[in-house]
This record gives sequence, structure tokens and C-alpha cells, in this order.
Amino acid sequence: MKNRKKNLYLVIWICLICLLPVNSGAQCVSFAKNVAKIKLGEFVHDGNYNATILGTGETAELYKTFFAGETYRVTVSKIETLPNIHFRLMDNDNNILFDNKKHDYVDVWDFTVESTQMLVLKIKVLEDPNNQQSITKGCVAVLFGIKK
Amino acid sequence: MRKKLLQGIKIFSIIFLGQWILSSCQSCSNTNSSGEQDDVVESAEKKVDPKLMEDFNKSKLIFYSLPSPLETAMLIKRSGARFNEEILNPISNVTNYNTNLKMALNLGIYSADLSYTGLFDQTQSTIQYMGCAKKMAEGLSIIDAIDETTISKLQDNMNNKDIVMEIISETFMSSNAYLKENDRPAISVMVLVGGWVEGLYLASELTNGSMENNKRLLDKIIYQKLSLITMLNLMESYSENEDIQYLQGKMNELKSIFEQVKIVNTSKVESETDTENKVTTIKAESETYISKEVFEALIKKVAEIRTEFIS
Repeated sequence: MKNRKKNLYLVIWICLICLLPVNSGAQCVSFAKNVAKIKLGEFVHDGNYNATILGTGETAELYKTFFAGETYRVTVSKIETLPNIHFRLMDNDNNILFDNKKHDYVDVWDFTVESTQMLVLKIKVLEDPNNQQSITKGCVAVLFGIKK
Repeated sequence: MRKKLLQGIKIFSIIFLGQWILSSCQSCSNTNSSGEQDDVVESAEKKVDPKLMEDFNKSKLIFYSLPSPLETAMLIKRSGARFNEEILNPISNVTNYNTNLKMALNLGIYSADLSYTGLFDQTQSTIQYMGCAKKMAEGLSIIDAIDETTISKLQDNMNNKDIVMEIISETFMSSNAYLKENDRPAISVMVLVGGWVEGLYLASELTNGSMENNKRLLDKIIYQKLSLITMLNLMESYSENEDIQYLQGKMNELKSIFEQVKIVNTSKVESETDTENKVTTIKAESETYISKEVFEALIKKVAEIRTEFIS
């Protein structure tokens, strides 16, 4: 009876270990789905997944064609513990078309384009003035919604 | 001896279980947004070496965002094009794809067909094409992106276009994210290429070979030149992969034709921001030019590449 109980105990532990790889791959998917995507509101998410882990001070760029006549909603979302994200929309000649610094580092903004353009979204996770001792890292997701 | 073995396994198990709980919490999906956010935080001690910090700050990640199958289908519909079932990849082809390359390309292709049928209210076809996308995703071992629940949800909401678009968008994002986060980004790129080529194929076929039929649609085709550049840049990151090399070859064939298409900004790109409504309008004037010969060559090449992908 005692041996059977031990064997059962052993099987349960092994099963739990076997479950280990199931969740080890996912990183920012649930953040993008459950936090970032909601910020697109009534706009339809285009289905593209642009998310990664960034740390304070790190930068990223996103290249996208904005089609004439469409209105796009862009969200640059981050986990709560990361400092604000500074993002700018720029054209090919590095002209700044929008800078969220002028709008209190807002994380959602709409863009309408009158003629089709390839634009670059440049993002930077700001340094954390309250935390000079460590680098905070976490998920950042850049999602695009299209007006219905 | 047996007792010692059991104890050893127990200690190991406790350590692994602890890790498992932590990693599960990183990936679990729940509706508590602050919980979500806390779960994915990690902190590391800052190195005192300023050079290292400088290098860290310089690190730059680049995303290339192609028009998704859903966006392309929306562009096609808004240009006033009609629905034509005959140009879609036949459902019966779904059993023909056995390699990773073919399954990935056709996951993109069927996703584009699914978006097109969904936006044009083709109830039965939409469900069938979702089934094809599911089969391709299963073939690529993409877990949980499209399951029976997705298809049931689609069936139950076929009369609600908003929900249909939401389901299509969600399945595309799930497949894409699964591949990227499970160290298979090259496969993810192949899916994007398949979807992009199918979108371009559908648009070019819907012109019925005429540059005059639908100017708005022609415009959308011309501007795919910009997306092609994005796609070539995206593929460059995975150029050691043989399948990607094959696709680069195909896309370069297309590029040589697109190079004869002219897109010129005739004014400076300017912006006007409406702070109250949180919207910025990007203004620029541009002109495009495509000759009849180049247009025909483009349509022919797109059809040739797409035929190769679906065969």
C-alpha cells in the first residue's frame, strides 16, 4: 500500500515535469493579445504580431507602408513597470511627422495618409530616473489597427 | 536505494515545478491586465562598465511590417473590386502540401483567401478556407492558433462581419506569434510571403488584365513596390535558410519588374496633428507611372510565382 502510494506520487511529479516545455516558449503573446490589442478599440487589428522584450534605453524601428485613404491606429504598448516609451513617426528623409513626447508619451494615436507612404516608427524605452541601479526589461508590442 | 532515488527525483521536481509555475505565469492569458504586465517583467543588475551600457543602448531591433492578408483584403474591397471565387486557391489543393515551405506559403495563401471570402460575406467559403488554414497550421505544428472552437465561433458569427474580421485577425496573429516565439521566425516569414503574394495575385487578377478597369485597385498594386522592399529586407535576416533563399530569388524576379514602376513624391511629406481627436494626417503629393508592357509583365510574373507556390 505504501509502495503504491509512493509510485503514484512519483508519476504525478513526472507528469508535472513533462508539462514544463508547454509554456516555456511564449513570451509576449498574451501581453500583445490581452493588453496591447485592446487599445486598438473599434479599429480592426491587421493581424501582424510585432512584440519583443526591450529594456530601458533600448530602441527599435518598424517599417510599414501606410496606404492612401486609410486611417491606422497605432499602439506602442509596454508593461506597466517599464518607463514611458518615446515614439516618433518619420518619413524616408528622417523628417519627424509625429512625436509622442509632445503629447505626454501617449501610447495610442491615429494616422491618416493622403498618399501612400513607407514610414518608419522609431521607438525608445526611456531611462527610469527612479531606478538607476537596475535595468528593467519587459514586453513591448507595436500593433496596427485599420479603421472599419 | 529506491528511497534515495525517490528523494532525488522529488528535489529535482520541486526545482523544475517552481520554474514551471514561473514560466506558466509569463505566458498565461488572463483578463487581469496588470497581472499580465507584472508577469513578463524581469530585472537585471546594471553593469558598472559604461562601455557595455553604451553598447546596450545602441542595440537596435528592426521590425518589417508587411500588409497582412486582412489589410490587403480590405484594400481590395475598398477599391471597389468584386468577389471572384475562381481566382482562389482551390480547397481541394489542401492535401497537396507536405513540406514546411509549401505548408507555410499556403498558410499565408489560404489566410489571404479566407480574409477575401470573409470580407465579401461568402459564408460557406469562409468556413472552408478557415479549415484549410487550420490544416496548414496543424501541418506546421502550430498549436492552438486555429482549433475547432475557432471554426465553431466563426460558424456562429458568420452574420457579424466585425466578429468574422476579429477571428481572422486573431488566427493570423496567433500563428505568426507562435512561430516567432518558438524560434521558427523563418517559417513565419514564409507565411507572410505567401499571404502577400496571394494578395497581390488577387488584386492583379481582379483588374481583368486592364489598367483602365479600376484605377484605385491599380494604385494599390503599384504601391506594393514599397512592400516588396520591406519584404526583401525582412528576408535578408534569414538568408542562410535555403527556403528563404528560394523565395528571395522569386521576389527578386518580381523586383526587377517593379523597378520599372515609378513612384515619385512630388512634394515634401508634411503632417498636421489634431490633438483633440488624437489624429495626425500625413500629407504628400505623389505620382506613379506604369507602362502597359510593365503592367502585363507584372501580372504574368505574379501569376507564375503564385502558381508555383500553390502547385
